[in-house]
Amino acid sequence: MTNSLNDIRHTKSMIFIGSNATENHPVSMQHILHAKEVNNAPIIVVDPRFTKLAAKATEFVRVRPGSDCAFIMGLVNEVIANGWEDKEFIRTRVAGYQEMVEVAKHYTPEAVEDVTGIPAEQTRRVAKILAQNRPTSLTWCMGGTQHTIGSSITRAFCILQLVLGNMGKSGGGTNIFRGHDNVQGATDMCVLSHSLPGYYGLSDGAWKHWCRVWDVDYDYIVGRFPDKEWMGKKGFTLARWYEGVLAEEELETPSPVKALIQWGCGTNSNSQYNRVVKALNKLELLVIVDPFPTAAAALTKTDNVYLLPGASQYETSGSVTSTSRQFQWRFKVVDPVYDSKDDYEIMSLLVSKLGFADEFYKNIKEVPEDITREINKGTLTIGYNGQTPERIKKHMENWHTFDIEDLQAKGGPCDGDYYGMPWPCWTEEHPGTPILYDVSKPVAEGGLPFRNRFGLEKTYDSSGRKENQLAADGVYNPGSEVKGGYPEFKDVVPGTNWKTDLTQETLKTAIKRGMAPFGNARARCVVWNFPDQVPIHREPLHSPRPDLIEKYPTYEDQPNHYRVMTRYKSEQKPELVKEFPYVLTTGRMVEHMGGGAETRSSKYLSELQPEMYAEINPRLANNLGIRKDDMVVIESPEGSKIKVKAFITPRVDDKTIFLPYHFAGTLMGESYLKDYPEGHEPYVVGDPGNTVTNYGYDIITQIQATKDGLCKVTRA
Amino acid sequence: MARMRFLCDTERCIDCSGCVIACKEGNHVPVGINRRRVITMKQGEPGEKSISVACMHCSDAPCIAVCPVDAIYQRDDGVVLVSKKTCIGCGYCFMACPFGAPQFPKGSVFGARGAMDKCTFCAGGPEENFSKEEKKLYGQNRIAEGKVPMCASMCATKALLAGDGDVVADVFRERVFNRGSGVNAWGWNKAYKKS
Repeated sequence: MTNSLNDIRHTKSMIFIGSNATENHPVSMQHILHAKEVNNAPIIVVDPRFTKLAAKATEFVRVRPGSDCAFIMGLVNEVIANGWEDKEFIRTRVAGYQEMVEVAKHYTPEAVEDVTGIPAEQTRRVAKILAQNRPTSLTWCMGGTQHTIGSSITRAFCILQLVLGNMGKSGGGTNIFRGHDNVQGATDMCVLSHSLPGYYGLSDGAWKHWCRVWDVDYDYIVGRFPDKEWMGKKGFTLARWYEGVLAEEELETPSPVKALIQWGCGTNSNSQYNRVVKALNKLELLVIVDPFPTAAAALTKTDNVYLLPGASQYETSGSVTSTSRQFQWRFKVVDPVYDSKDDYEIMSLLVSKLGFADEFYKNIKEVPEDITREINKGTLTIGYNGQTPERIKKHMENWHTFDIEDLQAKGGPCDGDYYGMPWPCWTEEHPGTPILYDVSKPVAEGGLPFRNRFGLEKTYDSSGRKENQLAADGVYNPGSEVKGGYPEFKDVVPGTNWKTDLTQETLKTAIKRGMAPFGNARARCVVWNFPDQVPIHREPLHSPRPDLIEKYPTYEDQPNHYRVMTRYKSEQKPELVKEFPYVLTTGRMVEHMGGGAETRSSKYLSELQPEMYAEINPRLANNLGIRKDDMVVIESPEGSKIKVKAFITPRVDDKTIFLPYHFAGTLMGESYLKDYPEGHEPYVVGDPGNTVTNYGYDIITQIQATKDGLCKVTRA
Repeated sequence: MARMRFLCDTERCIDCSGCVIACKEGNHVPVGINRRRVITMKQGEPGEKSISVACMHCSDAPCIAVCPVDAIYQRDDGVVLVSKKTCIGCGYCFMACPFGAPQFPKGSVFGARGAMDKCTFCAGGPEENFSKEEKKLYGQNRIAEGKVPMCASMCATKALLAGDGDVVADVFRERVFNRGSGVNAWGWNKAYKKS
């Protein structure tokens, strides 16, 4: 989030696209509804389903799954066609604007209607609402990202906000809601296959930086790899790790994956679940660390599965980073119950057994405080420096001194700080940055320009135009020595830059001069290192509109995409829709969480949502002869099937089937409850929705495309 | 003397059932007994609305009027409670209640016996405050601790309000006054020549 949940209280309009905050982020709703009530702020909900959030909307826009980019570019085009763009903001703080406009021109309200199914009149109306009610807060979640073009869709969201001039302002921003109190923290630590913590990437420089932080010899780390070249290569992703086990697709890896540790992870959130189950049973070693036995524990029939009972969040402590980039301290409520152990202890026992405890714990003597301190020391890129354990705890103890409206402490021991010191919090004196890219405040007081990350100038491929990438003269934070754009800071301490200077002298110098360590640049609309430099619509791999495939084709197949061949063009078959005529999309329900291991083991939550189901529109149900409470079989183009109860509801339209993905414990109605450790069976079981989610992965991130597949439905 | 009231603001209720879970977890209510539930109307259609419903602790409670053994009584603060030791489980209160609040133990058709259970406003029962017996039969006694009921204390959007009726009315009145007033709407300051 560029802003915070609390800051949504100041918005003048809201647009949610691919987000169902009422079910997934209920607490955020108090701020959303506050803005609706007090500011008269319209709520626009763009979704294939009439969700519980749509029930609170002033405008519901039903979009065909996977066509979000076309709609947003349509809004961009409509805003510009009417002269509603923020001309001064664009002139001074945006790059690649003209090149983007050329692309957006294609997305007239009529072209948008053809692709998305949204009436042209509604696109015009929504554009006008956004133009007349600024600033707008824009929120997306996995409905925006889980597509083959997810990376383009999310960029289109950002471009819309730049064009409207809604960035760096209270009440504006791109506000991506994260699922629980530390999803942002996990992301920032890059629990991912393509980057070291803090988004440093996998370059030699990145490895050397972290070796300095860890106080470990770089050559020692090199020696841990079979060959140095593998240190810089991306690994398998969460979406496709099982391909590394199965080795049926073309792989680029020194060896197939043989062992897997799943630490607090429900496998049934993986698409192509039949392949996942096959891979689980091929592994030589599977270790599951979780407070509850997960579906994987029951589905793996081999005898090399180890269940380590991990403690819950109430049985341990440590720092976490919330969706609003705020740091909080979790305090332990009780000691771990029975024979469970907290994550730190499990990790420590594992590391000692593997024989590198000395290197691993060089800076870590007091757990968990020293872990936070090591993160403070090394994560300079996003300003994780000033949030020391002492400061975080002080904030927790003085909640009452922070203002609900702007999150700032007014008096008291944390006077002037923003709650949780939202990153970047550059130094131990810095109050945190409540709103990113806000040039109205001094950097020392939480202000920030756009980061200079992509060079000083660029000649665009599409136009041949050369453009300065730094902010225009006159755009700067109050007190800045340079009254306009400037590049990132380096060589303050010779041989280092702001990201690698562990003395943090560079950060302090920049702030003393009233400037941001990472420079003052423009936000770019053209991303020259992406296959689509400006976001465009491309049809989902399995499209219900074969007539659009030629006009909006997908990408070429990608060999070695995170080590595995990923099909695009060869998978996009126009004839598929004849046999699989309905769009399949998935999502969550408020009662369950992720793979559901935890919530389906709660008797009360299970009582509220005791059954897996498929949402089917009444018209479609009648056409297919499906009656209330009938069982239906849903089949995917990959040939996998699930048997679930029909939930007949107008939430979905008559071309779309919706599945929640939290269930497991049966396959095609066949129970495998007997395979759970005795006494640990969940109360509620059902067929995993992800058994039938289709093939498809984002071109950049490889996130699974679970929101826009196809399926066939029959009465069981 | 305060008069206890619930109020569910349907503009705010998002059908998350947080109140239901808070009630059940907080009072260890058995599965199948629903002291509180969330009702949704026009699900999936424009006009969809949800409301959280429990015993409304009526001023002139029909359940008290019909109870043949006088097991149900009203405290001075308006909270309607049942004495489970007196209740014969006949279900007259269930017929009389306009909200479906009284709950009965589940069992096989011929085996279902036992006293009526319903929302206590988290005020325990007729037994001694904070006694083991009170906790076992009725759950927490948060009112005696000076706290609002579990359901309202956990409501994510502050849709469900509970407590002294005067205070609840003030909170709600202020909310309705702010709602749609347009004071902070875009263009307001310009139109009324404020900077």
